[in-house]
Formats: sequence, C-alpha cells, structure tokens
Amino acid sequence: MLLRRIYQFLIIYFLGLAILLGVKYALRLSNYVIPDPLLLGLTFQSEALRYFKDVLDTMSIAIIGQVLSICLAVLIGILGRQTTWFGSFVKVAAYNVQAYPIVALAPIIFILLGDGFLSRLLIAAMICYFPLLLSVLGIMAEPIGDIEHFYRITGRMRWQLEVKIRAFENLSKLTTVVAGSATLAMAGTIVAEFIAANAGIGYSIRIALYQSDLGKILIALFLIGISLSVYQGLLEWAGAIIRKTWESR
Amino acid sequence: MLTIFWAAPAADAADPINYRLKWLFNASVVGDLYADVNGHFTEARLAVKVKSGGPERDAIKELELGQAQFGVASADQVIRALDKGAPVVVLAQIFQVNPLQWIYRRTDPPIRQLADLKGRVIGITYGGNDETIMRTLLAQAGLAEPEVTLFNVRYDYTPFYRRQVDIWPVYRNTQGIIIGRKMQAENEPVRFFIPGEFGVRFVANSVVTSRRMLQNEPATVKRFIQALLAGWEAALDPANTVRALDTLQQFDRDTPREQLAEQLDITRSLIKPTTEFKIGTIDTAAWKQTEQIMLTQKQVAKPVQVETVLHPEFVF
Repeated sequence: MLLRRIYQFLIIYFLGLAILLGVKYALRLSNYVIPDPLLLGLTFQSEALRYFKDVLDTMSIAIIGQVLSICLAVLIGILGRQTTWFGSFVKVAAYNVQAYPIVALAPIIFILLGDGFLSRLLIAAMICYFPLLLSVLGIMAEPIGDIEHFYRITGRMRWQLEVKIRAFENLSKLTTVVAGSATLAMAGTIVAEFIAANAGIGYSIRIALYQSDLGKILIALFLIGISLSVYQGLLEWAGAIIRKTWESR
Repeated sequence: MLTIFWAAPAADAADPINYRLKWLFNASVVGDLYADVNGHFTEARLAVKVKSGGPERDAIKELELGQAQFGVASADQVIRALDKGAPVVVLAQIFQVNPLQWIYRRTDPPIRQLADLKGRVIGITYGGNDETIMRTLLAQAGLAEPEVTLFNVRYDYTPFYRRQVDIWPVYRNTQGIIIGRKMQAENEPVRFFIPGEFGVRFVANSVVTSRRMLQNEPATVKRFIQALLAGWEAALDPANTVRALDTLQQFDRDTPREQLAEQLDITRSLIKPTTEFKIGTIDTAAWKQTEQIMLTQKQVAKPVQVETVLHPEFVF
C-alpha cells in the first residue's frame, strides 16, 4: 500500500517533469523559464536537505491541524446527524463558516494570532475540516437499516452504539476521507506559510517565486509529494489495521 | 467577395504588441498608461496592449514564451535571467533612483551614516530586492547580523505601526505616501532612508525585450521605445499634470486624487531628476554595481556582463 502510493506519485511527478522538459526543448526555452535536468540536479543537491526539513516542519503542523479537524468534524457530524432543529442548525453554521475564502480570512487571522505556529495550524484545520465534515455528516446521517432496527426493537439502542455501527459499516470510506484530507491539511498549511508565515516549505516556495527559480519550486513539489504519499500510505495502513482489529472482535 | 475576406492586412496596419508591466497599475507606471491612453502608441502605428503585472507575473519569461513583446523588469530579474541563459536585452531604464526605500519615524534618531543602523529592528522581505539591498548596506557598514534585528515583513504594516519594527521597506512613490500620511494623521511624521544616498544604486524598473525581437524587428523596437518614452516625458511634464492624473485615475480608482498628485510628484523626482534629463537613460555603472552586489551575495553563479545587453541607443 505504502510502496504503491510512492511509485504512483513518482510516475505522476516524472510524467509532469517530462512534459515540462518536452516544452522546454521544443520551444528552446532557457533555464530561466524551465531548468534543464543538470540544473535541477544541482538545485536538488544544494537545496534538498533544507527543503526536506521545511517539509517536515510543514507536515507536523498539517498533521496536528488534521487531527483537530477530524475531532471537530466527528463532533459536528455526531451532533448534526440528528434530524432535529439543532442538528440542522449545526449543519448550516458549519457550512456557512466554510463559505468565506481562506485568503480573505487569512489577513485577519495573522493580525490576531501573528505569523507563527497558531495561524498556520488554524488555516490548515480550516481548509481540511469541511470535506471531512461533509463525509462524516453523510455517513453519520445514513442509518444502517437492518442492524439498527435489531437494536431498536430490543430496546438496546443508544447514541454511542448508533455512531459505532455507522462508523464501522463505513470504515473504508472514512479511511479514504481521512487520507484524502491529509492532502488538504498540507495544502492549507502551505497556503498559510505562503501568505504570511516565517517558516515551512510554503515560505520557501514564496522566496523561490520572488527569485523566479522554478528549479527550487520543482524540488519543493517533489519533496512535498513524496512526504505526503508516505503519510497517506501510513494512514491507509492504519485504517486497514483498525478494520481488522474491529472485525476480529 | 472572396478578396474582401482574404485581403491581406494593410502594410501600415498597427502591429499587435503585448507590453507586460512589473506591477499593478499605479503611479509607477503613469508614463506607460499615458502613452497608451493619449495615443502615443497609435501615432507610432502600434497596437499596444498594456498589461498589469503582479507577483506571479514575470515579463522576461513572457518574452521568451512569445506571450509579450516588451516588458518591464528590475535589474535583479534581468541579471538572474541572464545567469540562466535567457535572451533578454534592456532598452531603457525608467527609474534613476530606486523607489524601494525604508520609512521610519522622525522621532527616532536619524540615519545619517550606515553605522546608525546598528541596534535597529529592520524590516526586510526575505528573498526580495530589499533583502539584497539591506544586506549590501549592512556589509558596507561592517555590521554583522547580530548587531541588527532583521524582521520578515509582509503586506500588513501593523508591526511598524506598533513600533515592533523601526524601519520598514516601502515603495517611496506609492506606499511611502500612503503610510506617511497615515502616520502624519497620528502626529507621527516620517522620513525615509534612501540606499542610493549611501552609494548603493540597485537598478529598478527597466524596459526589456527579447534579443530575437531586437534583431528581427529593430524598427518596431525603435518605434515602441520612442512612443513609450514620449509618453513618459509627457506624463511627467508639469504642464500635463491634470491629464496625467486623469489617466492615472482611470486605472487606479482606489487612491484619492490628491494622493495620486503627491505620488506623481515623487515619481517625477525618481524618474526625471532634472528638467533636462532624458527619461530612459541607462545608468551602466549602476547596472554593473547591481550585478556585483548579486555576485557578492551569491545570487548568481557567475558574472553575466550585464553591460553587454544594455542598449542605450534607443533613448533619444
């Protein structure tokens, strides 16, 4: 699972790179527009270690943001699963918060929280929580008819049991959503760093952009992609283990 | 009937030309806009589309990709591009004094010599021109980094307003005026720290084209640059101030007219320092110094001999 994720990413990355290089040589573009493989290699040699540390920094924030988002989405998903007035109110409030574009909210966040850890964390969580919420709401609001019916007619149904049944029956869906939201958490953190932070790979990409250095940006994209693939692979692996453990009970 | 549809364009039909600016429409591009709106390009039989720039735009890349025929780039962009083999040439230098300067409070001790920077909290944009310029100034002053505090600045000026940062980088002719006015309204008059006064003449906006364009269409290049510089001369002529402000207001609706007038005055002093000065004159020594600064700071791998791509012959 993990290996498959990595080689699939490598195929996509090098395919994209090959297209770029194809354009470069077809249009005879200079290294300023698209760097050649030699320059890319030299850039990798000089920047990879520093950028890798930046990616780890970004990823650590993204993971914390993702965990927060999962907790929040599960909480709101459980509250919003009810077809009561309160359930619908929670859903409307959750949807409306997401209606504001993060680039418009970011300056306010940075003024209030500064350009350090908290702002990056909050933006990462805000970007990845909504798709999580939609999925959790969808899953939690959908009854598992025959199983739930059994517990209802025997009078043993409690809300905790209802949540457990629905989570278990949709575990593979939940795992996919959680793994997918890792991408969004990472993207959210990078956006935050790009806009105003002082650290992380988004910040390094911004500096490379100032210097019109596509080589550095391509190296950064490679490291982001490979790290994210490993993380997503690990999440899927963890999901599979949880499923097996539940099934064996 | 067929001949009507298949007729070749008339020989003197205006050539379509894209002109990519470095930044958004503001007082720094008043001459470009003036030349467009007031018919200087049309008179030269050129159909020029003046396109605003921005952080994600790079005129030199667009020249190479054929998306633009002329553009505006700063010297550091040109030197970086040359370092990586881009076929770019410089036709005119718009700013004679770099508008990138530092604002600070009048109540703070004045910076009369570079050693006065010691102990201050200095705003810089990491990776930006201002970082390069400030590091050069600090090196000239013999100040090591621990002797000052460098603060990473963004679009939000709050750290400067809150006195967390002592001196803050601004474009003197645009942001400098807006922030200066705000500070003045709070009874905090300001002054500016000008790197050029300490011998650092880092070249700013210049007009560029591709080597291919210069070789293949020298007549078009000449017509374009002459029309453009005529537009600049007219825009900065005090006799045309009302017209220049009208032009500017068409594109920059958010800035009040009296602020635009002040911006225009300062822009004039940075582009046409004396009444006799020919706008567009290329300061070769300043270009060489800019290259040397970038070499010293290892921003380019090797000397690019920037003087070989300067074409001052187009400035009339």
